[in-house]
Amino acid sequence: MVSGLDFQLFLPETILLVGGIAVLIADLFLRERADRETNLAWVSLAILVAALVASAAQYGVSESLFRSSADPVAPGAFVVDGFTTFFRIIAILTTIIVFLASVEYVRGRTAFRGEFFALMIFSTLAMTLMAGSTDLVMVIISLEFLSITSYILTGYLRGNVKSNEGAVKYFLYGSITTAITFYGASLLFGVAGSTNLYDIAARFADPTAIIGTPLMSLVLPAIIFLLAGFGFKIALVPFHQWSPDAYEGAPTPVTAFLSVGPKAAGFAMLLRVFAVALPEFTHEWAALMIGVAMVTMTLGNIVALSQTNVKRLLAYSSIAQAGYMLIGVAGVSVANIAGIAPGEGGAGLAIDGTAGVLLYILAYLFTNLGLFIGVIAVDYLAGSDTLPGYAGLLRRAPFLTVAMTIFFLSLVGIPPTAGFIGKFWVFGAAIQNQLFALAAVGAINGVISVVYYFRILKQMWYEAPADPTPLRLPGTMNAALWICLSLTLLIGLFPAPFIEFANQSIHMLGVFVRS
Amino acid sequence: MLAEWSFVGVFLVIALAFPPLGLVTAWLLRPKRPGPIKKSTYECGLETVGDTWVQFKVQYYIYALIFVIFDIEIAFLLPWAVAHMGLSAAQGILPLIEVVIFVGILVAGLMYAWRKGALEWI
Repeated sequence: MVSGLDFQLFLPETILLVGGIAVLIADLFLRERADRETNLAWVSLAILVAALVASAAQYGVSESLFRSSADPVAPGAFVVDGFTTFFRIIAILTTIIVFLASVEYVRGRTAFRGEFFALMIFSTLAMTLMAGSTDLVMVIISLEFLSITSYILTGYLRGNVKSNEGAVKYFLYGSITTAITFYGASLLFGVAGSTNLYDIAARFADPTAIIGTPLMSLVLPAIIFLLAGFGFKIALVPFHQWSPDAYEGAPTPVTAFLSVGPKAAGFAMLLRVFAVALPEFTHEWAALMIGVAMVTMTLGNIVALSQTNVKRLLAYSSIAQAGYMLIGVAGVSVANIAGIAPGEGGAGLAIDGTAGVLLYILAYLFTNLGLFIGVIAVDYLAGSDTLPGYAGLLRRAPFLTVAMTIFFLSLVGIPPTAGFIGKFWVFGAAIQNQLFALAAVGAINGVISVVYYFRILKQMWYEAPADPTPLRLPGTMNAALWICLSLTLLIGLFPAPFIEFANQSIHMLGVFVRS
Repeated sequence: MLAEWSFVGVFLVIALAFPPLGLVTAWLLRPKRPGPIKKSTYECGLETVGDTWVQFKVQYYIYALIFVIFDIEIAFLLPWAVAHMGLSAAQGILPLIEVVIFVGILVAGLMYAWRKGALEWI
């Protein structure tokens, strides 16, 4: 049963859904007009900004939507709380920045530009749905929704063999992980008897229900199978093989989008499902994260060392970055998510792992997208995505080179950039949780990553350009670059409001912790 | 514990034994009189023509996809009707609005396919 409040709090999603369909239909009927694409791009941007405003207006709201008509007190399938609001904003901001960077890029490369804009809006919708789902069915449907739009976007350059190869690999890999995730969800449903995350948590919290029965042995397989689905979106190491091919083949703006949006949404879903449904098993899943984080960071960084294609290199770099974010997940305190402040019962910690993940994602959003705007610009203007294509970029586009250097420093985690704040918080959470080995592996990996980031920097700063003609970025691309650059520095120089934002955003509605 | 799971084991044994048992029994009992007509490939009562590895026209797939639009529509309309059967008038026309939104999205998909020329056989 749907109430008026549901419609009101579901406004960002409604705007995105109606807007996406409107863009798709408008594209069909504006066929003959010459200025159709420019108009469509601006309309799409306006839709995204409207959704962003609607999301930000719900800051501080904590309400469960779509409750069952049989039991209106029980929580429903979707929730709007600080956590949802944070990831809604992240998802929409990602799309807006990618949008600005891709308006010029997609022109002339494909005959399906209207659909491109509509698909970007639909992907955003999928990510916002992922952030707020509190029912296993919703979780998996929104996961699939994002996957399907991502497959199409990856294979968008229809005549391009690499684009097709990436899309097919992504699709095959995604289908199998979806099946595994479904299996995990069905195991959890079989054990707990409900698809609602809150009901599942209540069943595990009830000492007379499941604890001690043989069904308990199915919980760990369920956690691992669910992790396969979330890990696939995030590109964690056993589930990462699709990402280098998909990143290399996809149109560069789509690569930028894939490296940030789905990753953030995957983290949102992972944290939500595990913290809401399985707080009783925090030790089990947090321990799993330690191992996965170590392998992810190390493999991502070591394989990145030998890459010569910049998009592939950044694919492995973003795998490694996901590993750093996972350090924060290993240091999660469910007490903090439930809103129990440090000191009250001694449950919470001062530096919270979840806040670390959120801060890292916020920093990574602007840093990685900024870097990719550079890659899009070089691809668009110079037609190259290999390392030698970046030779002498300093003389061809000085501002772009300086900006990209700052983004690289931010990815390594050097102050005063956003990346430093993110790294500080996740490593701090790990150390507070006594995960010294994990923090040490993370620190060593930070050093390895410097090597391949500086290989690109060396090309840009010291090599002579093959073609010294200056590169002039289109206005929209420049605007996106400025947004990313200013926020990367702003978060690094004045982190206090952003830390406060992250700390406020970790609270999820209705997380139950046994004291 | 063991008693609870033992029926799974019994099922497993039966499941593994059943297919070979049937095949072996049939092989022992049946008369063996092969002929050219008996050994020919049989499919839906018609003789197969040509190679199986031929390319299909890509439009078949587009038709299949458009069919899915209607398929999903029916698959969801039926449970919707059943779920709202015994509900009070307090909800008003809200369930109707819900389903109109749902059908509207599907119609938008059909409109897209139509306008793109997917319904014309080339």
